[in-house]
Amino acid sequence: MHLVLVGISHHTAPLALRERIGISRSMVPAVLDRLAGEGCDDAVLLSTCNRTEVYASTTDARRTGECVVQCLTEYRGVDRQSLDAALYVRTDADAARHLFRVAAGLDSLVVGEPEILGQVKDAYKTASDARGTGALINRLFHGAFAIGKRVRSETGLAEGAVSLSYAALTLARKIFGDLSTRHVVVFGAGEMARLCAIHFHGHVASTTIATRRTDRGDALAVEIGGGVTPWASRMDALLDADILVSATGATDVVVELAAMRRVLSARRGRPMFVIDLAVPRDVDPEVAKLEEAFLYNIDDLRGIVDENLAKRQDAVTRAEALVNDEVAAWLAWLRARAVVPTVVALRSRFERVRQAELDRLTPKLTGLGPEARARVDEITRLMVEKLLLTPTEQLKAIDDRETMASCSAALRRLFALDDDGPVSPTDAAAATPKPPRTPGEES
Amino acid sequence: MPLALLYLLAFSAYVWHFATRHPLIGRAATATLLGAVLVHTFQLGMYTMELGLPPMAGSAGAISTFVWMLAVAYLSIEVTTEERAIGVFVTPLLAVLQALVSRGTMPTDIPAYFAGPFVALHVGALLFAYASFALACVIGITYMLLFRELKTRTPGVFFQRLPSLQVLDQMNMRAVTIGWVLLTIGLAGGALWLRDAGVQSANDPRVPMMTATDPKILLAALTWVIYGLQLAFRRWASLTPRRAAWLSTLGFIVVLLNFLPVAYFFARSHNFA
Repeated sequence: MHLVLVGISHHTAPLALRERIGISRSMVPAVLDRLAGEGCDDAVLLSTCNRTEVYASTTDARRTGECVVQCLTEYRGVDRQSLDAALYVRTDADAARHLFRVAAGLDSLVVGEPEILGQVKDAYKTASDARGTGALINRLFHGAFAIGKRVRSETGLAEGAVSLSYAALTLARKIFGDLSTRHVVVFGAGEMARLCAIHFHGHVASTTIATRRTDRGDALAVEIGGGVTPWASRMDALLDADILVSATGATDVVVELAAMRRVLSARRGRPMFVIDLAVPRDVDPEVAKLEEAFLYNIDDLRGIVDENLAKRQDAVTRAEALVNDEVAAWLAWLRARAVVPTVVALRSRFERVRQAELDRLTPKLTGLGPEARARVDEITRLMVEKLLLTPTEQLKAIDDRETMASCSAALRRLFALDDDGPVSPTDAAAATPKPPRTPGEES
Repeated sequence: MPLALLYLLAFSAYVWHFATRHPLIGRAATATLLGAVLVHTFQLGMYTMELGLPPMAGSAGAISTFVWMLAVAYLSIEVTTEERAIGVFVTPLLAVLQALVSRGTMPTDIPAYFAGPFVALHVGALLFAYASFALACVIGITYMLLFRELKTRTPGVFFQRLPSLQVLDQMNMRAVTIGWVLLTIGLAGGALWLRDAGVQSANDPRVPMMTATDPKILLAALTWVIYGLQLAFRRWASLTPRRAAWLSTLGFIVVLLNFLPVAYFFARSHNFA
């Protein structure tokens, strides 16, 4: 079994291509169904503002990779040539390392940003709920969650300006200085909007939410202690705002140039910081040309990252070492999986021998009480466990596929593991203890 | 020249601080500039004790006083805002102007026309006003540099080192307000002196030239109008901070024109050197 990763990210694709290939959360199950229809039925689709990636377990990595690319191009109507230029395909250890780096925030636009771990968890849960996931994917993603948490707690990578929200906050401070008298309006109530609203709310005078989904808007307003304004009057709310965070799931422009020009004109020259975190973009890019508007989209926030990257170089080095450990652990697990049938068969064989001997000796044990018989059962079970422990560990620890396969074959042959029948007389005889010698008997 | 070297030393310290942003180096830069200002104060104080008035008559004296006022104005802003990044733009101006002074001669006595109280008020207020406008100009330029980085979404060296646009805008408007008030006082002082001069210095050939058509007086009035409009539009109309920063730069260009070429080559009313 192999692990295959096919994807694009902010490293390889511009925002325009990511917008086109991006798949919203509600569409993910349909895409997974489509992949399953093409023979790739154990996959997780991770689609965020900065990346769209498919992780799949397969026996034919090449065919699955091609199937995923074909599915993405056809589903989103993107021409193959432009996608190929931005595409990366990785397998096995490289694919696992990539996911662990993604979960740790090492591959993020803002290194160490915390949102990505939640997005990886969501992607896994969506795939589990939609079609179920196999052992390889399960182990892989649980490893990713573990390394994501470990990196953040042990390296300090998540400290400081490591999230998009914090980068936006840094920019806001560079424009307005003290934010305690400033007013924020948030368009949207999704996860990104929520995180940004929470981040800003602790530093500004007030936060107002405007969203089409009033239930989510109300819930977010309650959560952060902000206000709500109807979606229809969202532009009016900007008259008194200093910062606009737009992160809706809309496919069309939410803030048009003409509307923004009217708002800024009514604000009598006061600057406004407009943060467009949505993909596709919510704010008409032409708004950036208005003098009073400082418009930043997700890609623009990259500039803030550079300084943080330098500061976090030490943390990144430590985090990469942890990722390497996790990749090694995952690979060991993957290798060990290959010998699991042999180990299971071996244990099963020993257990049958043990049970057969206990059954054979039952008449001789009738004199024992239930407690003593239970003790005998436990002692024999522990003996078998201890006898099998070392060979099992040694077998799993072999890091060479061929050696592992030959050892596994040797065990199968020596213990006749492929024979599912009852315990042979030879085994029983071998297992039968010799009676104690009587005095005078020749040795 | 040693004073110019001290300002140059302060400039070096501010450059070092700008590059490293180390707090200790920043404090050392401030201390160096403060030391230069104290030496300068002592020097001007000695002249004042000798002459009975600050040495504002003549180009060298006026420029040296201007440099001192600019340094004091900058230090007061630095102390109140704890922002040192502007120092790297102000201190070279101080060093260059003070180096120019070292090539001229400081006044050795007080001219007769300087005796009245309104002349000292006129010259002193105008010099301080111009120092404030110089500071506003430097702050305005830094505002535009940072604005450009933020607007083009390419945060760089100014993003990392300069204070926020809001702080720079406040500094700019504060400097312009102080400068404009002093300019008004200075111009009023000049007008009052002119009223008395009509009687006391009736034979001075420069006095009849002191009309609104004189280039120096015309440019001074234009400066007053530019900064006055800047303040008014910022207060009551929708003048953006960036345009205010531009006007601070434009206004100081007019000040420089008035201070140097116009005063030397065109004006006939203020040839006191």
